[in-house]
Amino acid sequence: MNLNKLAWRNLWRRKRRTMITGFSVAFGVMLAVTFTGAGDYFYTRMIDAGASMGMGHVTIEAVDYHRAPSLKKRLHHVETLREKALQLPQVADVMTRITGQAMFASASKSVGGMFIAVDPAQENSENNLFIRSIIEGSMLSAPEGRNIIVGSKLAKKLHLRMGKKVVYTTTDVHGEIVSAIARVSGIFETGISEVDGAMAMLPIHSVQKVLGYQIDEATLLGIILKDQRFSKSMRDKLAAMPLYSGVEVLSWQQSQPELAGMIAVDKSSNYISQLLIGLLVAAGILNTMLMSVLERTREFGVMMAVGMAPSALFRLIMLESFWLAVIGLIAGIIITIPWYIYMANIGIDLSGAYGDDFNFAGVLLDPVMKIRLFQESIFAILFGLFTLALAAGAYPAWRAGRIPPVESLKTI
Amino acid sequence: MTDQDNKHDTHSLLNAAAQHPIVRLSDVCKTYEQGKIMVNAVHDVSLDIQHGDFAALCGPSGSGKTSLLNLIGGLDVSNSGTVIVDGINLATIDGSELSEVRKNRIGFVFQSYNLIPVMTAYENAAFVLNLQGVDETECRDRVMATLKAVGLEGLEKRRPDEMSGGQQQRVAIARAIVTEPAIVLADEPTANVDSHTAESLLDLMEKLNRQQGVTFLFSTHDQHVMDRARRIIQMHDGKVESDNIQAG
Repeated sequence: MNLNKLAWRNLWRRKRRTMITGFSVAFGVMLAVTFTGAGDYFYTRMIDAGASMGMGHVTIEAVDYHRAPSLKKRLHHVETLREKALQLPQVADVMTRITGQAMFASASKSVGGMFIAVDPAQENSENNLFIRSIIEGSMLSAPEGRNIIVGSKLAKKLHLRMGKKVVYTTTDVHGEIVSAIARVSGIFETGISEVDGAMAMLPIHSVQKVLGYQIDEATLLGIILKDQRFSKSMRDKLAAMPLYSGVEVLSWQQSQPELAGMIAVDKSSNYISQLLIGLLVAAGILNTMLMSVLERTREFGVMMAVGMAPSALFRLIMLESFWLAVIGLIAGIIITIPWYIYMANIGIDLSGAYGDDFNFAGVLLDPVMKIRLFQESIFAILFGLFTLALAAGAYPAWRAGRIPPVESLKTI
Repeated sequence: MTDQDNKHDTHSLLNAAAQHPIVRLSDVCKTYEQGKIMVNAVHDVSLDIQHGDFAALCGPSGSGKTSLLNLIGGLDVSNSGTVIVDGINLATIDGSELSEVRKNRIGFVFQSYNLIPVMTAYENAAFVLNLQGVDETECRDRVMATLKAVGLEGLEKRRPDEMSGGQQQRVAIARAIVTEPAIVLADEPTANVDSHTAESLLDLMEKLNRQQGVTFLFSTHDQHVMDRARRIIQMHDGKVESDNIQAG
């Protein structure tokens, strides 16, 4: 009989113990999937939401604009830059935008804020948070014209309603103060107080004229990727292309460092939780294997007496740990699949606890907790738990081979 | 070197092996620490076990029988003296080499059978052959022949808990002899079975000794068993008191 078969049979000597330990591994898989899946889903939502607030997953902008924003710093030949980026396989969309600070004034009041000038033809509700947050009126219909869409709180501060006039004042490409009039054609409400109280969306060609920009000039190109995880590699790829040598290419981690920092902190605590789960699983296996070794001391003595080498005994116990881990992981996969399907599609509504306007690091999030696992996370969970399970078996295995056969044979 | 020379050398080696004892103990001592007291379990024992011996180590409990078997079996090491088994001085080899000696040259039969409970009779008997890496066909032939020899034909698929004590001890004997070891060491092999089963086990060991030339050294304090041995080595307080060849 080979060691594998013997290890498998040994596991089933005490069925209940094996099943309890297997279940603890399975439960560990479920917990790890929940924690990791929630993280993968939550971070992706945050990053995607952050990207749709203006900068994209990757941002192309004029050199040094990010560190010291100024409307003087601008991109040239944006259409060429955009077309080239759109040809890359991971790129879902590229939007030309002008962002800057402005003073908004109504007949009764003035308020400082930010504007984002967009080309409506390039925008949609998927890549633009403001469009999907419109609560009154409609999206801009053309890149020119005198329309403006304002945040709900900004509208309230300025006592604006649909169709009312707003004067926005900013500095042009030469540093001169310039103003223009626009008429409110829509109001958006993202739920993020800072955004709703200060932001406005304008048609890009109108803003280009006001600022003295050429038709193919803008402050940035926001690139939306099919998968945010490729942000850094896409940044590197674009930065290496000669066409983008005179501009700055930023990943979302660089363009939104606060968000990246918050995610990093949250991820760290998530890793600690995962480690604790892994240690609990490992402790269960260690306990089982140690008990199993202790109660078979005499049997191991006999095996060594008839010629089994301590190394073979070590392999036998390790194989038992291996099969225990396999049983646990398979059981884990079986019990986790329905849970995963439920959590990925329906999730748990946390609006009762957090309210409907749940935002994190300035990014509005859906209060329904869902999970989504990346492929690499699945492998990481299975590999991590499997490695911990094997590591937990190593000490009992080492111990079994260390007891001299003459001592083992004395035990009852 | 010609084929003739080779044959001559092989004959010389076989003759030499036949003339040399399988086990040679010279001035062997083994002391155990039992709490604060030192116990001389084996004291200055010198002894030879020859090919084909059917020998019994006799004596009361604590006389050193099991300790001596453990030393001969390479399960324990002596404090002084030399233990040579099948030409190998056990004091000069390391743990893994000792495992090899036990696997290839010594068969063990224990008082309480000590079969592996998750294995069938066949698998228990084949266990050491598997450790030796004997191929499956040869292993099967040898195990089946051995199980037949010990009277367990047809019970190959039974697990230990499905067999009587006597049947289990027969499996243990099969496990010990299937590798054709130089010597079989049996520690009180009949102590846990009734007298009828003990008798049949002794018949079996005697038959294997006479027909297949298996060398047996067993420990016992049962007079009935001693009567069947052809050589009686009497021990007391760790020393060999007498060593007699039985008549008949």
